[in-house]
Amino acid sequence: MKDILDKIALCVEVGKINKLSAYPPNMKGQEGADELTKRALDAGCSPKEILDTALVPAMAIIGNKFSRNEIYVPQMLLSARAMSSAMVHLKPFFITGQAVRKGTFIIGTVKGDLHDIGKNLVAMMIEGSGWEVIDLGVDISSAKFLKALEEKPDAIVGLSALLTTTMENMKTIVSDIKEKHINTKIIVGGAPVTQEYCVKIGADHYSQDPQGAVDYLNQLVNNRTH
Amino acid sequence: MANTSRQNFLDTVNHRQPEKVVVDFGSTGVTGIHALIVEKLRNYYGLEQKPVKIIEPYQMLGEIDPDLIAAMDIDVIGLIGLKNMFGIANDDWKQHRTIWGQEVLLPGNFNYTCNANGDVLIYPEGDTSVSPCGMMPKSGYFFDAIERQGPIDDSTLTVDDNLEEYSLLTEDELSYWGKLIDHFEDSDKALIASLGGTGLGDVAFIPGLSLRHPKGIRSVSEWYLSTLIREDFVKELFDRQTDIAIENLKQFFSLFGNRINAVYICGTDFGTQTSTFCSPEAFDNLWLPYYKKVNDWIHSNTEWKTFKHSCGAIEKLIPNFTESGFDILNPVQINAAGMDPVNLKKKYGDKVVFWGGGVDTQNTFAFGTPQEVKDQVKRQCEILNENGGFVFNTVHNIQANVPFENVIAMLEALHELR
Repeated sequence: MKDILDKIALCVEVGKINKLSAYPPNMKGQEGADELTKRALDAGCSPKEILDTALVPAMAIIGNKFSRNEIYVPQMLLSARAMSSAMVHLKPFFITGQAVRKGTFIIGTVKGDLHDIGKNLVAMMIEGSGWEVIDLGVDISSAKFLKALEEKPDAIVGLSALLTTTMENMKTIVSDIKEKHINTKIIVGGAPVTQEYCVKIGADHYSQDPQGAVDYLNQLVNNRTH
Repeated sequence: MANTSRQNFLDTVNHRQPEKVVVDFGSTGVTGIHALIVEKLRNYYGLEQKPVKIIEPYQMLGEIDPDLIAAMDIDVIGLIGLKNMFGIANDDWKQHRTIWGQEVLLPGNFNYTCNANGDVLIYPEGDTSVSPCGMMPKSGYFFDAIERQGPIDDSTLTVDDNLEEYSLLTEDELSYWGKLIDHFEDSDKALIASLGGTGLGDVAFIPGLSLRHPKGIRSVSEWYLSTLIREDFVKELFDRQTDIAIENLKQFFSLFGNRINAVYICGTDFGTQTSTFCSPEAFDNLWLPYYKKVNDWIHSNTEWKTFKHSCGAIEKLIPNFTESGFDILNPVQINAAGMDPVNLKKKYGDKVVFWGGGVDTQNTFAFGTPQEVKDQVKRQCEILNENGGFVFNTVHNIQANVPFENVIAMLEALHELR
């Protein structure tokens, strides 16, 4: 079983999605994260084991390499796509409760801002680290974040903004969320956002890259359990 | 007698000390001013009050008229082609009220609708019978692309699909360029032309904003992935695109010669806030040969300087840009990782002209005090203008919500320096 889990992890790391995908060239024709995950489940491997010993460690390697500027956006996107192809097979187990995730993360690009590359990378990395991700999309108002929080009151919230013209909306959304959910943790990020701005608007954490957001979320889980 | 703007420009782009700092506002789609600030500037200088003409509607950049050029003491005039990014001809101007309540002039065929949320939707070539290609959020100040990516079947994907928007210049377009150059040539300003078609893999253009039914790779994420998983496709696309571009450059040069001083080549962003979008090796493999082909043709045949825009933390790619033959680098994002202006000037100041980097638009300009803006403008000029090789501009366009007192502080600092 370890062999197949190692192979799944490798496929996620190098971005091998399925048998049909031609990338990477040296794995052409081989099974990818998609088929291997299905095969692992059929062989009796638990969803938790696949998540904990294959997907999460592989995505952590990718996230850390990205933080160290050793890989770039295309590689991240490809690994995330491979991870998603594996996650599809695990989702039914999350729905039935046979497998449990670390928590729920609600993410969106703030009102007035339509940029989503960075937001999507963060969402994919956090999903790949074992969280349920509710991606509200772009141009998201306070009302939409609050509605999502009504359904998932224990969720952590992530706000993204690419523009100096929309950063101000981040401040409004943080304030509106904190007014109704004082204990909800909010992570902020995006090109013009800084640690100082995070503190100024009353958000809980700023991360300059996806792995920083993952590390913060994991730290929250550790604090809860210890 | 003092040097003209054009002479100072030629000095600085040839790395000679100009008599005074050379200043650009509004000459390209990446060194412009939002229409709202243009209106405020016209007010400030006591110029005729009139609706601002939107010369670049994607980012809602306003025209800097000759009277404003004179008032701001600008040295560079930008020439842009007949059609804008949405494939709409920049003519037959009509007055409109923007969602922030400003009266502006937009091209006659600039047809838009509003959705239920109040967002503005714009259409390729103004054709409202097809899906919109761009949206300005109700609370926004400019458009962003709406991706219209169809299903991708790699077995039938062809480079022609992504070449649809690239073609040889038409008689009408060349005639338009001729009129523009005739009109501005007698000014004492430097001229930079944004000819179009020379940008390689610019994600602002990948969605095919000017196309009614874009085919091929039209999603930005899919494009980034393609640079990894469809390398041959990208190379063939760049190869054929640069062949078309060089034919256009030849035609342009045969008609207008060295009556322009610089040409805008490419706006592809290679930098994020902290890193690059690709490794130097990937750049050399995918982009360098094609950039080099275009730059080499220009340098072998003309006196034009070539302009490359890339936001972000691109310090480690600057040697690759210069090897590609670019003369000018913009916007010099001084707050991104590794983009310390002292270091940039020391390492690359004799190889590349820094066009931008005059004030940090993400921090000081947008959120600092007027005094902080003044101090930064003076410091940046002191560092970057030494021995020439510098054209003053903010880091990218001046946005609608920049405190106007900061815009004035920047202009006052420049006035004091000059």
